[in-house]
Amino acid sequence: MGAVAAQATTEIRALAQILDELDYYNVLEITPDASASEVRAAYHRATRRFHPDGHRQIGDDMRPVLGRIAKRVAEAYSVLRDPRRRQVYDQQIRGDSARVRMPLVQAEAEAERQSRDARLGKTPNGRRYFVLAQADVARGDKVAAERNLRTALTFEPDNGVFKDLLGQLRGKR
Amino acid sequence: MATAIGIDLGTSNSCVAIARRGRVEVLENSYGEPISASVVHFGDDGTSLVGNQAKACAVQDPENTISAAKRLMGRYFFSEEVKKAKAVCSYKIVEGPNHSVRVKVREQALAVPEISALVLREMKEIADARLGQPVCQAVITVPAYFNDNQRQATRDAGRIAGLEVLRLLNEPTAAALAYGFGKGLAQRVAVYDLGGGTFDISILEIGSDVFEVLSTCGDTYLGGEDFDDRVIDLLAEEFQAQHQINLRKDRYALEKLKVAAESAKKALSADDETRIQIEGVAKTPEGAALSLERTLTRVEFAALVSDLIQRTFKVCDEALQQANLTVRDLDGVILVGGPTRLPLVREAVEQYFQREPKTDVDPDQVVAMGAAIHAAALVGEEQESRLLDVTPLSLRIGVAGGLAETIIERNTPVPIEQTSVFTTFKDFQQSVRIRVYQGESRRAEENELLGEFEFSGFKNARRGEVRIEVTFEIDTDGIVKVTARDPDTAQAASTQIHLSSGLSEEEIRGLIDKHHAPAAPSAAPGLETSGATLAAVASVAANPPALAGAPADPFDALNACAGEIEFDAEQLEAAANIPLEGPADSAFELDPAPLEIGAAAAPSGGGAGDAGEIELDGAGADDALDVLDEADLDSLAALSDDEAASAAEDPAPEATTQRRAAPAGGLFGSPDSDLSIFGDEDDEI
Repeated sequence: MGAVAAQATTEIRALAQILDELDYYNVLEITPDASASEVRAAYHRATRRFHPDGHRQIGDDMRPVLGRIAKRVAEAYSVLRDPRRRQVYDQQIRGDSARVRMPLVQAEAEAERQSRDARLGKTPNGRRYFVLAQADVARGDKVAAERNLRTALTFEPDNGVFKDLLGQLRGKR
Repeated sequence: MATAIGIDLGTSNSCVAIARRGRVEVLENSYGEPISASVVHFGDDGTSLVGNQAKACAVQDPENTISAAKRLMGRYFFSEEVKKAKAVCSYKIVEGPNHSVRVKVREQALAVPEISALVLREMKEIADARLGQPVCQAVITVPAYFNDNQRQATRDAGRIAGLEVLRLLNEPTAAALAYGFGKGLAQRVAVYDLGGGTFDISILEIGSDVFEVLSTCGDTYLGGEDFDDRVIDLLAEEFQAQHQINLRKDRYALEKLKVAAESAKKALSADDETRIQIEGVAKTPEGAALSLERTLTRVEFAALVSDLIQRTFKVCDEALQQANLTVRDLDGVILVGGPTRLPLVREAVEQYFQREPKTDVDPDQVVAMGAAIHAAALVGEEQESRLLDVTPLSLRIGVAGGLAETIIERNTPVPIEQTSVFTTFKDFQQSVRIRVYQGESRRAEENELLGEFEFSGFKNARRGEVRIEVTFEIDTDGIVKVTARDPDTAQAASTQIHLSSGLSEEEIRGLIDKHHAPAAPSAAPGLETSGATLAAVASVAANPPALAGAPADPFDALNACAGEIEFDAEQLEAAANIPLEGPADSAFELDPAPLEIGAAAAPSGGGAGDAGEIELDGAGADDALDVLDEADLDSLAALSDDEAASAAEDPAPEATTQRRAAPAGGLFGSPDSDLSIFGDEDDEI
């Protein structure tokens, strides 16, 4: 018991020391291509080791240290379990900044913005022609709609929403 | 060896259990009953009686018989819930210090946790008697949807009862643990927990030794007692129509109605109809005794309460949506709480979840059993299961214009911590005031105020030069802590705050002494505080003059007075979910550009808006144009369903126009300010 506890304490101390350098994948000990179920399993694994409930006998000096790790584990999971937030986070850590944490609210807001962008278009012109195309659809003018969508796609060739609508129009004709 | 019990502190009934030697056992009271009424009767000789015997006193002595105290736990006196309780309670509810609630019994004003403490102590004594040794450690359960104030009050009650509260455990999580413990399951379940006074729904993933809550939602004022109230209303109305006598005005008659309504409800679990008969419920002006007699059928009862049952499913919809699941993704439904015995409720649940609910565990005892299992695990008596819970409510901070911005969203796993950086709003500002809320509304006043505190002692500098890091933390009990520190000063003045719970540390200690309960050793780790912390708590306690100075609606005063926090454009984007189109990388600032807090009081007579000045940086003008652009696009794009939904959430173009015009009316201090933070038109007060 004593030896196990001492080993756990050493592990916690060591992890706490480098915690601020670890990205969320490191914290959960998974690779960036981990699947959703691997993320969940990793979270469960980490909580088995670091949840405060499992360390009630830990010394008072170690309690805040353990708490810091437990909270970071939950934070990592909060971001990585949500595909939208995870995408935003991946962009952040792939960027040149060395930031390994992301405020949850910011992750959410950015994810929201990106999904809006995907719907409405990322570029002013893509958006403009997409909106025109939608108005055409509402009026029932499929020819004009198709023309505007094709124009929108020249600005944003990868926009799935634009492509889907175009596909629908072609299907209907 | 340490013995730790699990207590389900319910609105109507409480239950205590213990797990030992691999078995979970519900401990019966001295009358052989597994559950005891959460009722306290205060006798004229200064003694108190708890449980089913106390409940029996309600008819003779309604003023001194306190039931359903849980509905008042952690509530402000001015809250809707307390107003509702006042309308149906036979005992006196009065206002205490800091807008707290007191119950007046025999010339004494008792704090609500004090009453719950008497129930908890009864549970402890049942355990002491059954186990033949004193018990001082317990896991106490709370509705998952309880906010921080309610949790703090419950913790306080435990301490006053002389218990070391090992953990506050959410009731549905406890139920899931009792259901799945040691079975090696791999299931996704919904726990439908309709209690006497509260409704919770939790969606959990149960693994071999991990219970992960995926989402939780609830209503802390919806339960079996509301079903009874509907029957009481029916009986009282019919009686009034017949005899022109309002039975609700007569405390004794009301208690008789309550008893009759509850037993009728229970009878309808088994029978298709039941006979209600109350002899001598009232007297005619001439003095002749009147009786109430009526047959209530199951169909009539269903009509009375069906909207209440439907309300639970609205909450279920929300929980499923938060977990990104549909009923088809679930492997089972667990029923918890006495009212789930009603065939009416069972049928509705079965219909909603498209499967027969599991009834193999007693809905009245399953929560206490789960609490006992976890208590044993925490003291090392039982194999450990990890309970991974979430915070039921979003944690917010008050900002300019009477708004509250999210810091930690609901259904985020706990423990969790988030830090935001703020700065001062005026040159050489001495202090900042921070208000913390829980709830789902962007309007501050529609959320629960957890507390406010002032932070000072940072360096004396020009506006914007001070950095104040505010850390928001939610622990495994769901209890909130807020810490402010100045990272620049050598002293790193650190202040930890336990937000208002109605009772100060001093009051709690006083109550522990009063009730002669031996103070439990290290009663609550979370509440053990250093001298500095105690000072901070004291300053919070001293602070509520801001609250106290508001006679009608404290929130008006709160909004009108200081404590405005300023966001800059980037922060606004993150916080207000309004996509401003800036340079591509600008949205990725990890270290949020400084928020500003102004602590100076608003000019007297000024509305909330006067104090709320928001400054945008140089990019403001461009961003402003973009907002308008987006809004216009929304209105055009609202042709498809998807877009219609999105448009509903986003500022409508007219609103944008109005907001742009608003500065002329002097509603907002800075011409740019209205663009960003005031996302919805109705945010403008």
